[in-house]
Amino acid sequence: MTISTTSLISLREFFSNHQILICFNGPISTTVIGEIGSALKEHIESNHAPELEVMDVFSVYIEMSQNIKNYATSHGLSDSESSATVVIAAAEAGHYAVCAGNLVEMGDGQALLERIHDLADCDKAQLKQLYKKQLRQPHAQTPGQGAGLGLIEIARRSSQPMEASLDPLEHGRAFFSLRAII
Amino acid sequence: MSSSEELNLSVPGSQSSPSIRADWKAGVVVMSGESYPENSFELYDQLIQWIDSYLNSAEHSLTLELHLNYLNTSSIRFMIDIFDLLQSAFESGKEVLVQWMFDDRNPRSAELGAEFKEDYTFPFLILSINA
Repeated sequence: MTISTTSLISLREFFSNHQILICFNGPISTTVIGEIGSALKEHIESNHAPELEVMDVFSVYIEMSQNIKNYATSHGLSDSESSATVVIAAAEAGHYAVCAGNLVEMGDGQALLERIHDLADCDKAQLKQLYKKQLRQPHAQTPGQGAGLGLIEIARRSSQPMEASLDPLEHGRAFFSLRAII
Repeated sequence: MSSSEELNLSVPGSQSSPSIRADWKAGVVVMSGESYPENSFELYDQLIQWIDSYLNSAEHSLTLELHLNYLNTSSIRFMIDIFDLLQSAFESGKEVLVQWMFDDRNPRSAELGAEFKEDYTFPFLILSINA
């Protein structure tokens, strides 16, 4: 279906209703990650609530998008398969929501859900302990160039437990979605 | 024998990687900027090698002056390797010092410095650039 000007206005309405500030959908590259990151930082610096740390939102965004990039690289995914959906939106009471989704093997997605479920039960002190333990792992044992560390970092910067879901697709794959509130 | 200038390391910074200047004669490494490069191994490996050979062959002390506003987790992982080298050099009697410089507007940088510091016993100063 070719996009029409009326679909553009309904897309715009969807963005406004969900208070979406920045959205990206497509093949993720280092340049894209960097440019969205700069735009995000600028936006928050000029608008944020005084108690919010700009670098927390930036850090969560960087870890999520680099996890997706690393996953695509380590699995040798093509451009269309390495497409990511990244959304940054305003949330209640001056908070921000950072969401990202990508195509994964079903088994990898299930392992991620389990990991996120485990992290949700941890308080800040336990998360710090986990983080320090993971930092001491030898490089070779760090899966996906640090995906483990990235998720712990996101959990530490979040003001509530992460939310994740997995939507099955064909060929044993699934779309993995992650949301953090900062 | 190479001259001391040839032993220096200089890497320009970018949006996602810090500038690095390592001066053999002065025994000083200065890093400045934000660190979330696509390939953190490529960036940090050369620095780790420089610090390792400096600590093994230079006679005098080593000071790391770090102006790092933000590090992603894979950069943090490599900083641990650097601090581990400093710690073992310190334990064998070498004089080492880290000066972690932060901007008051970015308290997360000060917290990151403090989290690094708590795992080591060598001198590690956390200093505000606004003081």
